[in-house]
Amino acid sequence: MDIKILDSHLREHLQTTAKPKEIAKALSLSSASIERVEPFGKNDFVYSIEVTTNRPDMVSVRGLAREAAAILPRFGFSAKLITLPVVKTKKASPSTFPISIKNDKTLVRRVLGIVLEVEKKESPQFIKDRLEAAGIRSLNNLIDITNYVMLEIGHPCHVFDFDRLTTKKLIIRPSKKGEKVVTLDNKEHILMGGDIVADNGKGEIVDLLGVMGTANSVVTDNTKKILFFFDNNDPWKIRKTSMGLAIRTDAAALNEKGVDPELALVALERGIKLYKELADAKLASDVLDIYEDKVKPTPITVDIEKISKVIGVTIPTKEAVDILTSLSFTVVKQEKTLKVTPPSWRVQDVSMEEDVIEEVARIYGYHNIPTELPPFTKAAFYHQTENPFYWEEKVKNAFKFWGFTEVYTYSMVSASILDMPLEQAVALKNPLDEEHVYMRKNLANSFETVLNENRGADNVQIFELANVYQKQAKELPKETQKLAFLLKGKINGEKANYFHAKGFLEQLATECNIKHIKFEEYLEGGVGAYVLIGHEQLGEILVKHNYVIAEINFEIWLQHANNKKVYKPLAKYPPVIEDLAIIADAKAKTAEIIRVIKEQNPIIADVSLLDQFEETRTFHIVYQHADKNLTTEEVSKIREQIITALSTKFGARLKE
Amino acid sequence: MNMEETLIKIKNEALSLILETSEQAQLEEIKLQFLGRNGKLTLAFKDLTKLPIEKRPEVGKLANEIKIILEEAIDDRKKLLKEHASQKERANLDVTNPGIKPLLGHLHLITQAISEITSIFEKIGITRVRYPEIEWDYYAFTALNFPENHPARDDWETFFTTEETNSKFGQIILTPHTSSGQVREMEKAVKLSQKTGDPISIRMLNIAKCYRRQSDVSHTQMFHQFEGLVVGENISIVHLKGVLDYFVKSYFGEKRQSRIRPYHFQFTEPSFEVDVTCGVCLGKGCKLCKAGWLEMGGAGMVHPNVLKYGGIDPKKYTGFAFGWGVERVLMMKEGIEIDDLRLLYSNKLEFLEQF
Repeated sequence: MDIKILDSHLREHLQTTAKPKEIAKALSLSSASIERVEPFGKNDFVYSIEVTTNRPDMVSVRGLAREAAAILPRFGFSAKLITLPVVKTKKASPSTFPISIKNDKTLVRRVLGIVLEVEKKESPQFIKDRLEAAGIRSLNNLIDITNYVMLEIGHPCHVFDFDRLTTKKLIIRPSKKGEKVVTLDNKEHILMGGDIVADNGKGEIVDLLGVMGTANSVVTDNTKKILFFFDNNDPWKIRKTSMGLAIRTDAAALNEKGVDPELALVALERGIKLYKELADAKLASDVLDIYEDKVKPTPITVDIEKISKVIGVTIPTKEAVDILTSLSFTVVKQEKTLKVTPPSWRVQDVSMEEDVIEEVARIYGYHNIPTELPPFTKAAFYHQTENPFYWEEKVKNAFKFWGFTEVYTYSMVSASILDMPLEQAVALKNPLDEEHVYMRKNLANSFETVLNENRGADNVQIFELANVYQKQAKELPKETQKLAFLLKGKINGEKANYFHAKGFLEQLATECNIKHIKFEEYLEGGVGAYVLIGHEQLGEILVKHNYVIAEINFEIWLQHANNKKVYKPLAKYPPVIEDLAIIADAKAKTAEIIRVIKEQNPIIADVSLLDQFEETRTFHIVYQHADKNLTTEEVSKIREQIITALSTKFGARLKE
Repeated sequence: MNMEETLIKIKNEALSLILETSEQAQLEEIKLQFLGRNGKLTLAFKDLTKLPIEKRPEVGKLANEIKIILEEAIDDRKKLLKEHASQKERANLDVTNPGIKPLLGHLHLITQAISEITSIFEKIGITRVRYPEIEWDYYAFTALNFPENHPARDDWETFFTTEETNSKFGQIILTPHTSSGQVREMEKAVKLSQKTGDPISIRMLNIAKCYRRQSDVSHTQMFHQFEGLVVGENISIVHLKGVLDYFVKSYFGEKRQSRIRPYHFQFTEPSFEVDVTCGVCLGKGCKLCKAGWLEMGGAGMVHPNVLKYGGIDPKKYTGFAFGWGVERVLMMKEGIEIDDLRLLYSNKLEFLEQF
């Protein structure tokens, strides 16, 4: 979380020779990140600080001063934490305390309260400045002090108008679903249940603990007496309430990270001093302290050798001990280990060896650690043909050089793009919007969104390689990589058609050394073809009104892809080439005719369709013998066989 | 006319024809007419035998000289004509007219970035793998040391599916980070080590689609991360810094510096935030950066609990991991400061065809 504090405020807690920029640099390298240092007023500066979620102890002026006091000397600056001025207090017995407070220790770890007679007025300028710099609006001295204490010490607190707590009872309990509260900003909220609330004994909620006070108990212009109140709450419950009701107060943001309960008393005593100074406060009670489950720091055993092993640099034991001590850790040196006990405010985030090593490493300075590549000891074997990434890159590049533009469409689609019974798709429980709800089952439908995005484009050639998702009972959905492409408009001056799509697939097969790619008649309505390798179906080509789209299973494709090259000796004798014009019924498929022609004799090296006009198809035939020149007689004999075979199989004849 | 006169006449006739012609083909004809098998000069040579013996050497010499002169004249004329022809062609060729281009498409920016990133890490032995995009909560959170109540597991950060929950692996979610591959990779490495008897050694680069519940100018619901994981017997922060520095200098250029700062992640300890000097001011500090630095992403030493979840003994092995956004590093490259990341997945051709 981010906080802003003034340099002048920091220097009330930290005595140092370092200038603001130097403080910012040192802290950024070894502690919290100080994102900016900007001038504030005539001779002050404001620090914008990002504190990580594990360090709520630093979300305060005092917390930062403590870190800075440990770090600045390592950058050559003198630095010392200044003792905090407080008012010492006495403990009240619950029976004599003016308000009966019943805690639920599963919700609140520590409750602290004191009753003060006060005079409500405006805060002095320095309080206003410091709050304003932190982004907190100044209201009046009574409220401002609670915010100031939180900013300075790091424990949130609250102030009730004592006289408005008419029942003189506070029962801390979980809220029931549907209960209503009006928070002090006069907004009504309906609770979800399980929120930490204070009940006045009559079922009325008088505080939404740790998140925001309520309108019915907050100080008013007439307030004369206050209950200055600290509650150390279950962080998870605070987060649920705060996020669920969308009340993002600074107190909630801090409470949901987990605040050191030991800090509560320090903050209370600091607060009382401020109330005395700024609100002419008189103590109307002693301090009620309900605190059963005390923080008990447990020592952590740290292997001395491991410190250097993890950091990669030899750290002398004395240096490690000095670093930890400077951060208020208690260190007992044993033979091969250190017994390290964290201070109360670090118990939450320092609980094992590695946590302690981190402390040593960061204060030693990450910038002081050298760089070196990890040793190259062993490597997994690389087999190009089996490496999917190799093929992906190759295929993507092929499409690129064929003029396609690669798209990345979302894996999640809307119900209308999914275009199939919704229960067949993996669905999101908490989608962000209606466009992205179902895990897609094909890429082709997503291309519609691309066409919609590019309505003005006459010629579109796009492709995508991405996963589709298939539900599986009791298992993760099956992820299958698919390759899809779309052709719209003109290709080389010709309207994009089925044969363009087929051609790209055929050439891709050639590039991936895949034999036996086949195209079979589409049987599901609409114009198109199934794409097969051997007998395995891997996708289809569909001819739509104004575009052609193809989608294939890329994983099956890769099972057949290879780079195997076979050398064939160069031909010693020239081939005989001729073109045969055949008249055949449209039912006789070209692929079948070619297969029948090839079957007639092994010296037929190649057959291809040259052109087609009405019922006439011209085939280009290459006859080649490996060991001799072919004679006209030999070729004409085979030609006769071909014509006979085609006539028998397809009722075809040679065009005269 | 005596023989000498005849020869000179042939010569003069031939030379004038050669000089008059302006066509290559005509020149070939002239050559044939005089020097061919039945050419005039060739026939004249044959007539030499009719001369008295004493005259033959002198006339023969003359005939040979004429032959050489004609051959040279033809060659010279040929060169000249060629020269004229190409001059004419040159004059007609407007080299500034457009070329006839083969088709050229475009790979998506993300593909280009992934390809570059992959190559960089491959050079130092860190190679690419792939793990599920739709993942068990176990691999995405539990095995990465996320406590039950961690905010990342909230409904408002991670996408959950309506698929059935598993008693061991929990809910099925869309993976919010490539870190989900860490424990899967460890499980694979442990199996291999058990089979071969060799110590565990991991050099993983996991690049994949990730999903989070956020969408604004700098976030898209679907994005890409690349995750490095290196585990071995003596892997330290020094090595993490080494790999980081290698990547930064390779990808952004050798003028850029990197640094690590303290940070916090559940699955690493210590954890770091990785910064790279700003490409505009190179670390001096400017409007586009934070005092000279740009944040690139997170890194850290693998948390011992994560190693344990992966079946690796944290007393024997250590490791480091990093997970950075592909979109993020792309935006940090000079010249690609895209003002709205959602453009990347809007698939406007006008945008895609720029790259």
